[in-house]
This record gives sequence, C-alpha cells and structure tokens, in this order.
Amino acid sequence: MSDKTLTKAEIVDAIYEKTNRNRAEVKNIVESLLKIMKQAIKKDHALLISGFGKFEAYDKQARKGRNPQTDETITLPPRKVVVFRLSRKFRAELNQQ
Amino acid sequence: MNKSELIRKVSEENNIPLEEATVVVSTFIDSIKDSLREGSRVEIRGFGSFKIKTYGGYTGRNPKTGEMVTVDPKILPFFRAGKELKEFLNK
Repeated sequence: MSDKTLTKAEIVDAIYEKTNRNRAEVKNIVESLLKIMKQAIKKDHALLISGFGKFEAYDKQARKGRNPQTDETITLPPRKVVVFRLSRKFRAELNQQ
Repeated sequence: MNKSELIRKVSEENNIPLEEATVVVSTFIDSIKDSLREGSRVEIRGFGSFKIKTYGGYTGRNPKTGEMVTVDPKILPFFRAGKELKEFLNK
C-alpha cells in the first residue's frame, strides 16, 4: 500500500502530456469536466462511467439527532448524499491475483 | 448521464473536438483507476476523494443453509463526496 495521493494537478499533467494545449487551458477543461460531472449527479441523480463505476445521488430523510457535546436534541434536515458504486469490471481488475 | 454523453458535453462547453474531449475524459478516469490499482489515495478538490480499503478473507457461514463458505480477501475503493459537491447538491 502506498502513501501517495493523486491530486488534480497530477491529473492535469497527465492530460497535458497527451494534448497540444498549455497547462492553463487543460486546467480549465478539467474544471469544466468536474462541473459537468457535479451537474449530472445533481440533475440526473446518476453519472455512469463504464469500466469504472456509478455516482448516485439519493435523498436522506430528516432525522432526529443529538449534539453529543451538549446532549441537545436537534432535527437533521433532509439532504442529498452521493455514493459511488464500483463497476464489476473494475472490481474484478482490482482483485485479480 | 453516461460516459459518451459526458464526453459530448465536455466537447461542446469547451469548444474542443470530440476526439480531444475523449482523451481528456479517458485520461482523467484512467489516472484515477491506475492510482487506485496501486493502492494510492485520490483527492480531487471540490469533488471528492477515493481511498482503498483492504478486507482480509474469512470463513463464514451461509445463514440459510448453515454451510461453511470461504470469503476471499478483497480490496475495494471508497468514495467520499467533497464539501463543495455536498453543498452543490443541497442548495
């Protein structure tokens, strides 16, 4: 297991190597890609990327919670959460011996 | 939305050819996949992060039949939505 973390800057670099654009242009395109992904998750409630997985948004009902510090009872508002479901193909790739 | 629709949208919004948008989206996804394959974390500010969880194998029991089954060790990536994505979905 490695301690390395892949960041947006490294992804921009990888794309930069494969196109004829400067880094600033690539950075803008990547930001636009992320914005489109976020909008798709919000609007369609799902973003499917074959061979990788699916981002799904679903609604969570309001529920009663408690502030552990003050013991106060609070109502947590209903909200949307995102889950990532792994594609079977990628799961198999990660687990092949 | 699926991958080809995503590619088309990236092409339209940035005024770049479809082939180039394909390279952008594929390289983006492949970089994340390669990193997870190596067991590395992925952190995309404003969107979210992925990390790999490793599970050891164990011998379990099928609760219905009582049969013993071997569950193989596995590694699975986990995604956590970033603050910006959470806020965007809820506004």
